[in-house]
Amino acid sequence: MAINTEKLGIVLQNFVTATSDVQGAALVTPDGLPLAASLPGGMDEERVSAMSAAMLSLGERIGQELARGGVDRIYVEGDKGYGILTSCGEDAVLLVLADQKAKQGVLMLEIKRAVAEIKLILN
Amino acid sequence: MSTVAIPATNQLRPELGDFSSIICFKALVVGTEEALGEKAAAIALMAAGRTRGRQVAEQLNLTGKGIASEGIIALLQAALGKEGTRLCIVEKIVETEESITVYCRETICSAGEPAGSPRKLTFTLGAIQGVMEQVTGKRLRGKQTESVLRGSSYDVIEFDVIS
Repeated sequence: MAINTEKLGIVLQNFVTATSDVQGAALVTPDGLPLAASLPGGMDEERVSAMSAAMLSLGERIGQELARGGVDRIYVEGDKGYGILTSCGEDAVLLVLADQKAKQGVLMLEIKRAVAEIKLILN
Repeated sequence: MSTVAIPATNQLRPELGDFSSIICFKALVVGTEEALGEKAAAIALMAAGRTRGRQVAEQLNLTGKGIASEGIIALLQAALGKEGTRLCIVEKIVETEESITVYCRETICSAGEPAGSPRKLTFTLGAIQGVMEQVTGKRLRGKQTESVLRGSSYDVIEFDVIS
């Protein structure tokens, strides 16, 4: 069954524009295909998608091999900002890019809301 | 230099020629799986395959031509088969309203595997997907539905249209 990628694109676009300090977001399938994206210019959607899915999968393996349990989120903190990968169930992975000024608590809350909205569309 | 087909002459390596053994390819796959896990390795290999597939379709001038375009199988066989890079033999492509099914033989991913092996297509699936996406102009999601390793005559890949 085809996924409503247009609707997902609107949700991502709204999330990026309405959430302060968020610079971009992408929704990808667990096997690394792009579903929808609102990314800063110069980022390759296909590459970002494969990287995000591989990263979450690698995180899951680390959780398993190092007895850390199931992984819901991968968090990358760089000196220019954050990259947060969140599982959206079996069908998708959400990548959010935020700048270094982002307040982590607020960001996590907004991501949680976006994930709930995305899950409704995917189901 | 075009990388669609490998010419009879050795263009890339003067002494060893332009082919490498499947044994090394498989060692690369298995080694990557051991380091990253099967799933992450499969994602990386499929992504690499998609890039390669798109490149092949572009070089064959198949972009946007559609699956029904004349000679597509012959072109893919020439590019990826015996006269080409020998990734696999694309035997037939069946398109319905909802999906595209591609039948392949002698895929590099299934080569050398024992009967009953659970191994799935990764790089090959990605490469075929890349070609199909470029040819149809649609975004696809592929899954292997049959395997020569598990009793089928072909490695069969079914693509659903994502968008």
